[in-house]
Amino acid sequence: MKYSLPSTIRHNQSGFATLMRFYAQTKAALLDDIEVDFKAVTWFDADMCAVLGAMLYGLGKRVNTIRLTHIQQNVEAVLSKNGFLSNYGREKIPDTWGTTIPYQRFEVKDDRYFAAYIESEIMQRSELPGMSPGLKKKFRESIFEIFSNAVLHSRTELGIFSCGQFFPAKHRLDFMVADLGIGIRQNVKDNTGLDLTAEKAIEWATEGHNTTKRGPIPGGLGLKLLGEFIELNRGQIQIVSDAGYWCRNDAKISIYQLEHAFPGTVVSLEINTADTRSYALSSELSAENIF
Amino acid sequence: MPENLELSIYEIVGSPLAVASNDGQKVFDRLQTALNEKRSVTLSFHNITTLTSAFLNAAIGQLYGLFSEAQIRDSLNLQDIEPDDLELLKRVVDTAKLYFRDPQRFKQVLRETLGDEGDATQS
Repeated sequence: MKYSLPSTIRHNQSGFATLMRFYAQTKAALLDDIEVDFKAVTWFDADMCAVLGAMLYGLGKRVNTIRLTHIQQNVEAVLSKNGFLSNYGREKIPDTWGTTIPYQRFEVKDDRYFAAYIESEIMQRSELPGMSPGLKKKFRESIFEIFSNAVLHSRTELGIFSCGQFFPAKHRLDFMVADLGIGIRQNVKDNTGLDLTAEKAIEWATEGHNTTKRGPIPGGLGLKLLGEFIELNRGQIQIVSDAGYWCRNDAKISIYQLEHAFPGTVVSLEINTADTRSYALSSELSAENIF
Repeated sequence: MPENLELSIYEIVGSPLAVASNDGQKVFDRLQTALNEKRSVTLSFHNITTLTSAFLNAAIGQLYGLFSEAQIRDSLNLQDIEPDDLELLKRVVDTAKLYFRDPQRFKQVLRETLGDEGDATQS
């Protein structure tokens, strides 16, 4: 089976739709040979490796042979530097400018390993754009909220995938986390009985206090906190789950239904690294009156 | 026996990153043991650099399912917590109180969020 990708794959609604189309056409393959032809591809957003990598891992689980062919030099350079192509027979090459955040797959129990990855590959890198201490802290918290959400809610057995990229001149840092779990729509349905469309389910999960958590541990803040931070940062957050697409850019929220579904959940962050907001609080909370 | 017990999150987690729910569970287990014995606890956040709501929900939010607000207020003291972490903890605590206080709240929030569609899909 051969599938040819189009010329441009960016981390936006169109880029997600492109990769969902690829997955829809290949997901039934079993014990097959799947050639993903990059001949036409002139741009591939590095963080989208998390999504493509998750899909290819799912296909590999069905004992398919995956081959990525005809990758143009500029695309191959980026995807080799971040280690993505190391999974498909290429060598990792040095990242001279230090702008890649490596592609990586984690098991749900790998929270310590994930934490070490975030510290060594993002937070402690000398190439990291001059983010303020307040921004660094909020960004770090946000990434861990995403990973924790995937661990707590996805029920994935295939793992959690992440990848990112710095754009120093644009003062931007992209980071994406994808899981091959049950997705938000199914999670809401299983835990609340609500049978929402995929995009409506994402919208529901991003509202404050809504939670699919049951049992002794409360929940329902993670995605809300993320959204608040991104709004202050003037960045962007996108969530794709099943066939739902949700985006918050500045204070504007867009939701769409995609033609095809992703077999899990993707959270994509675009961080404005030039943000000098202190994130200090105006309220006068005291440790004595918290409880 | 000392009147006041001291617990260090850093020591329990073994890292400055208090981010994983299962690490929060370890803190909760110790707090639960102490509160069951009606002991007071000082919980130290010294050297903790990063907290998540997932960690705090498990470590502290969960207490509200087992103990009264008054007992938690009287028994639990916080030490060396950063102001923004305190803000996050306050939101976790407020959410936990809602979560455990009113079992009908969840459905009400659903209706408010989804309007008629929520009502229709629940039927």
